[in-house]
Amino acid sequence: MSEFVRVAAADAIADPGKQVFEVEDQIVVVFHVDGQYSCLDDVCTHDDGPLGDGRLEGCTIACPRHGAKFDIRTGAALSMPATRPTVCHEVKVEDDAVWVRLRS
Amino acid sequence: MGVTAVTDSAKFSAAALDELIAARQEPEWLVDLRRAAFETFCEKALPSRKEEEWMRTDIRTFHLDNFEPPAELSEIPADLPEGLLTAGVDLGGRVVSYNSRTISSELSDELKQQGVVFGSFAEVLESHGEVIREHLCHAVDPHFDKFSALHAAFFTTGQVLYVPRGVVVKKPLHALSLMGAGGVDLGHTLVILEEGAEATMLNETASVDETSPGMHCGAIELFVHPRARLRYVNLQNWGRGVWHFAHQKGVVDRDAHIQWTIGALGSKLSKVNQHVGLVGEGAECEVNGVMFTEGRQHLSYHTLQHHQAPHCHSNFLYKAALQDRSRTVWRGMIKVDEGAQRTDGYQRNDNLLLTKHCRADSIPGLEIEADDVRCTHGATTGQVDEEQIFYAQCRGFTRNEAIRAIVIGFFQQVFDRIPVESVREALGKSIAVRVREYE
Ligand code: FES
Repeated sequence: MSEFVRVAAADAIADPGKQVFEVEDQIVVVFHVDGQYSCLDDVCTHDDGPLGDGRLEGCTIACPRHGAKFDIRTGAALSMPATRPTVCHEVKVEDDAVWVRLRS
Repeated sequence: MGVTAVTDSAKFSAAALDELIAARQEPEWLVDLRRAAFETFCEKALPSRKEEEWMRTDIRTFHLDNFEPPAELSEIPADLPEGLLTAGVDLGGRVVSYNSRTISSELSDELKQQGVVFGSFAEVLESHGEVIREHLCHAVDPHFDKFSALHAAFFTTGQVLYVPRGVVVKKPLHALSLMGAGGVDLGHTLVILEEGAEATMLNETASVDETSPGMHCGAIELFVHPRARLRYVNLQNWGRGVWHFAHQKGVVDRDAHIQWTIGALGSKLSKVNQHVGLVGEGAECEVNGVMFTEGRQHLSYHTLQHHQAPHCHSNFLYKAALQDRSRTVWRGMIKVDEGAQRTDGYQRNDNLLLTKHCRADSIPGLEIEADDVRCTHGATTGQVDEEQIFYAQCRGFTRNEAIRAIVIGFFQQVFDRIPVESVREALGKSIAVRVREYE
C-alpha cells in the first residue's frame, strides 16, 4: 500500500474547482466541491481522455473528448461512451493540506 | 508537487552537445547532422496527448532532465547479464554496450576475411565511413519528433553490421545493449546488406536492475538491398523503470526479403514506431511481434507497412497477452502508393486479456492509392476461456499450469513463424515465467 502524499495547501484548490497533480509517477485530478475533496485517475476509461481538462458540474466531471461523465466521489461511469469506472484514490485533509494515497 | 511541462532541457543542452562533439573525432557531415537534429530537438515540444499518435500514451510523468547524456564509462560492473537469445547458438560475432558505450566487440576471422563488418558505431565509422554516410538517417527521420531529434543529436554508440555484395553469413551475429540504474541508452543500430547478401542478427536489450529508472531513446535502420535476405530479431527486455522511445525502419529493395521478429517484454512505457518500406519491385517482409505485459506497463506500437513499388508482399502479425493493469496500444497502417499495383498486404493483431483491469487497443488502418491490390487486416481481443481452463484442470493441470499452457498456445502461431530455435525458446520461457497465479 502506498503512502499519503501531500499535493497542495487546502486553500490552493478553489471550491468548486479541480487541479491536476503528479503523485508517485501517476497523474491524478483532485476535486474540491462543497468543501469535500476527492481524487480520480486523470484517465477516462473510454479512450484515455484527460478528465482534468473536462467540465466540472456539481459532482460530475465530463470528459473533454467524447463527453462521458464520471462521479468525482467514486469514479463511477455515469454516461456513455464510458462504461467502466475510473480509479478513485483516497484523500484526506490534514495540517491545512490535501493528501492523496494511490489505490492501484 | 505540481505538474510542470518539460519545455527544454538543462541536461541535453547545447553545451552538452558541444562537449560530446569535441570528445569524438567525427567527420563534418556527422557533426552537421547532430547539430541540425539538435535544432529540431530545441524547436519541438515533447509530444502531448492532443496529438493523434500520442492520445493513448501519457508521458506527462516522463521528465527528460532526470537523465543525463551518455557519459564515458568510469567502470564497468562485474556481473552483467548475458542476454537470453544466444543459449546454444554458435555466434559469428558479438557487440555489447553498457549505458550507450560499447564495452566489447568481436567478429570471427572467417567473417572478417569475407569482408563482413560488425562492430560499434565508432569502429565502423572509422573503417567504413562512406557506407555509414550513405545510410545513416536515410531510413528514420531525425526531424520526425523531439525523441528522434534527441537521439540523432546525442547518440554515442550502437551496432553496425555491413555485409558486402553476395556474401552469405551463416552464423548469427549478436548485439546486446545493457543499461545500469538511472542509465541512458541512445543506441543506433544500422544493418546494411548489399545486393544478394544474407545474414541473421539477434539484437537484445536488458537492464542490470529490474526496477531502477532509465531511458532508451534509440533508432534502428535496416537496409536490405536487392535480392538480399535479412533475419532480424529484436528482444526488448528493459527493466520496469525504463522509458523506451524508438524509431525503427526497414528498407527492402527489389526481390529482397526481411523477416523481423519483435519480442516486447520489458520497460515501463514504450512508444515505438516500426516501419517497413517496400521500395523495390517484388520486395517482401514478414514481421512477427510478441508482447507480454504486466504491472502498469504500457507498450505502444505504431507500425507502418509502406508499399512503394509493385508486386510487394507484406505480412505483419502481432500478438499480445496482458495481465494486471497493463496496457498495449497497437496502431497498424498498410499504405499503398499509387504505382504499387499487385500489392499483397496483411496485418493482424490478437490480444489476450488475462485480468480484469488490463486493456488492449487495436487500431488497424488502410490507405490505398493503387487499384489492383489485396490488403487485409484484422484484430481480436478476448479473455482466457474458462471452459478451456476447466478442461485442462480435469486432466490434472493446476489452474496456473492451465493458463500458462493457454498463453503459450496463444503465442504458438507467432512462434511457428520464428525460425531461430533459441529465440523461440527464450521467448517461450520468458513468457511462461511471467504468467501469474490467478484466482
Ligand atoms: S475518451 Fe473520454 S469519452 Fe471518449
